[in-house]
Amino acid sequence: MSVMKLSIGPQHPISAHFRFLLDVDGDVVLKLEPDIGYTHRGIEKLAEKRTYLQNLPVIERVNSYCDSAGTMLGYLEAIEEVMGLKVPERAKYLRVIAAELNRIASHLYAASLFSVATGLETMLMWTINDRELILDLLERLTGQRITYTYQTIGGVRFDMPDGFKEEALKRLDYLEKRTEDYYKMLLWNHTFQIRARKVGILKPSDAIKLGIVGPNLRASGVRADVRKDEPYEVYDKFDFSIPTGKNGDSYDRLEVRFKEVEQSIQILRQAIKDIPKGPIKKWTQPIVPQGEAYTRVEAARGEFGYYLVSDGTMKPYRLKITPPSFRNLIALPHLCRNVPLGDIPIIYISLDLIPMDVDR
Amino acid sequence: MTDKSTEELVVDSVKAKFPEDVIDAKVQRKNRVSISVRGNKIYDIGLFLRDELGFDHIASVSGIDYIDAKEFEVIYYVWSMDKKVLVGLRTKIPRDNPTLKSLVDVWEGGLYHEREIWEMFGIKFEGHPNLSLLLLPEDWDGPPPLRKDFVLPETHQERLEEKIKKLSGG
Repeated sequence: MSVMKLSIGPQHPISAHFRFLLDVDGDVVLKLEPDIGYTHRGIEKLAEKRTYLQNLPVIERVNSYCDSAGTMLGYLEAIEEVMGLKVPERAKYLRVIAAELNRIASHLYAASLFSVATGLETMLMWTINDRELILDLLERLTGQRITYTYQTIGGVRFDMPDGFKEEALKRLDYLEKRTEDYYKMLLWNHTFQIRARKVGILKPSDAIKLGIVGPNLRASGVRADVRKDEPYEVYDKFDFSIPTGKNGDSYDRLEVRFKEVEQSIQILRQAIKDIPKGPIKKWTQPIVPQGEAYTRVEAARGEFGYYLVSDGTMKPYRLKITPPSFRNLIALPHLCRNVPLGDIPIIYISLDLIPMDVDR
Repeated sequence: MTDKSTEELVVDSVKAKFPEDVIDAKVQRKNRVSISVRGNKIYDIGLFLRDELGFDHIASVSGIDYIDAKEFEVIYYVWSMDKKVLVGLRTKIPRDNPTLKSLVDVWEGGLYHEREIWEMFGIKFEGHPNLSLLLLPEDWDGPPPLRKDFVLPETHQERLEEKIKKLSGG
């Protein structure tokens, strides 16, 4: 047997900059070593040199084009926990609406990348097209398509415009009918099933031992979601369920994401119906006393952890961000041992690793 | 007498098993427990948390530079699926020669977390299989960046250009 060292990347069409170092024998990959750090911007060091308000656009760009509304919630909750600030009810509902709309957009984006990796490009066009409807809704609410800076310390910046509720409900009805088309076109497609079933099976005991989070963990059968374990904002008022998968292979990881889109539509309908009237922001000077807090929120890719240490000045003393893709990174070398070379893109895309999340 | 909460039971079990090595163990709020221990016993307490109490899902490992007190603090955050409690296992080590035993055998998911702390703070983890640069460029030869006394007098780009000029004899 002769082992060849192969290097793929860092520029490749499947995601942002990420390099794989493979040991290959013929068509079989023996070992994979990920090489990260191409999009490292030093956000934790930048956060120490800026005030809490100036940090809002910086933290948002940890994961900018996929899930910025879900990312921001953890940082704001850490500040509000140390300050003891109570956010008005209407602002909490608006924060949840922005976060859930962003979750749907992010899962549709993940599905489009998955379909490109298998070569079924019709699905790429359909999901990106439907994602435009959601981004248009977010633009009416916040003024931006992907990086909003909508949530701020003490509430949100803008209120819901007139006509938003009716338009949102119309689009959510359309999206719910469309998921049936997605199932027929992609998930029940025979070619896709041959490529994605039984590829990259992650056992539940391994997933817990390695610290995997998000839909990857739920596809292996573990029912763990921060929105149910430690409800934050107003998630304890909504009626929704946590979908799980049976086998833990790449097919299950995509199917769980589609089922989560259906659950997000349920949450959004309840939020739009029950939102109370009231103020949207409680403005105070962000003077944060001495203290520390660790908050967890459920973004689209999994659990975001924020650890904030404050020393009473206008700038944070230490802000440590643990993104979900950094915790899921260790699944990649674990799963890519003795697999055919053609399975590597499927495994990588099904884990939904965004290199900007990994590097910060 | 009211029943003790899950968080208080965790604090009591750790204090009962390691009475001299636990400096401070307390419940911070609902779902959050903080345990501060001596550096040489963190491996045994980690094993106890994982095997006896069921804390097997590692959430994050973080380092802090307390430059005025001349020490580093390293915190391991671990979560338990059934108890739904997050424990912050923390220890302080001196700033001049920072070493700590690696907990990769206890929580395998901490592999990349410990590597990043080594690269950003300069804390050595004994027993870690691969302490090499993760996020910084491959030819990084400056001091660890996240320390509070890190001052980069010139940018990395300028140093690279100086190196190229020297190598090409100019």
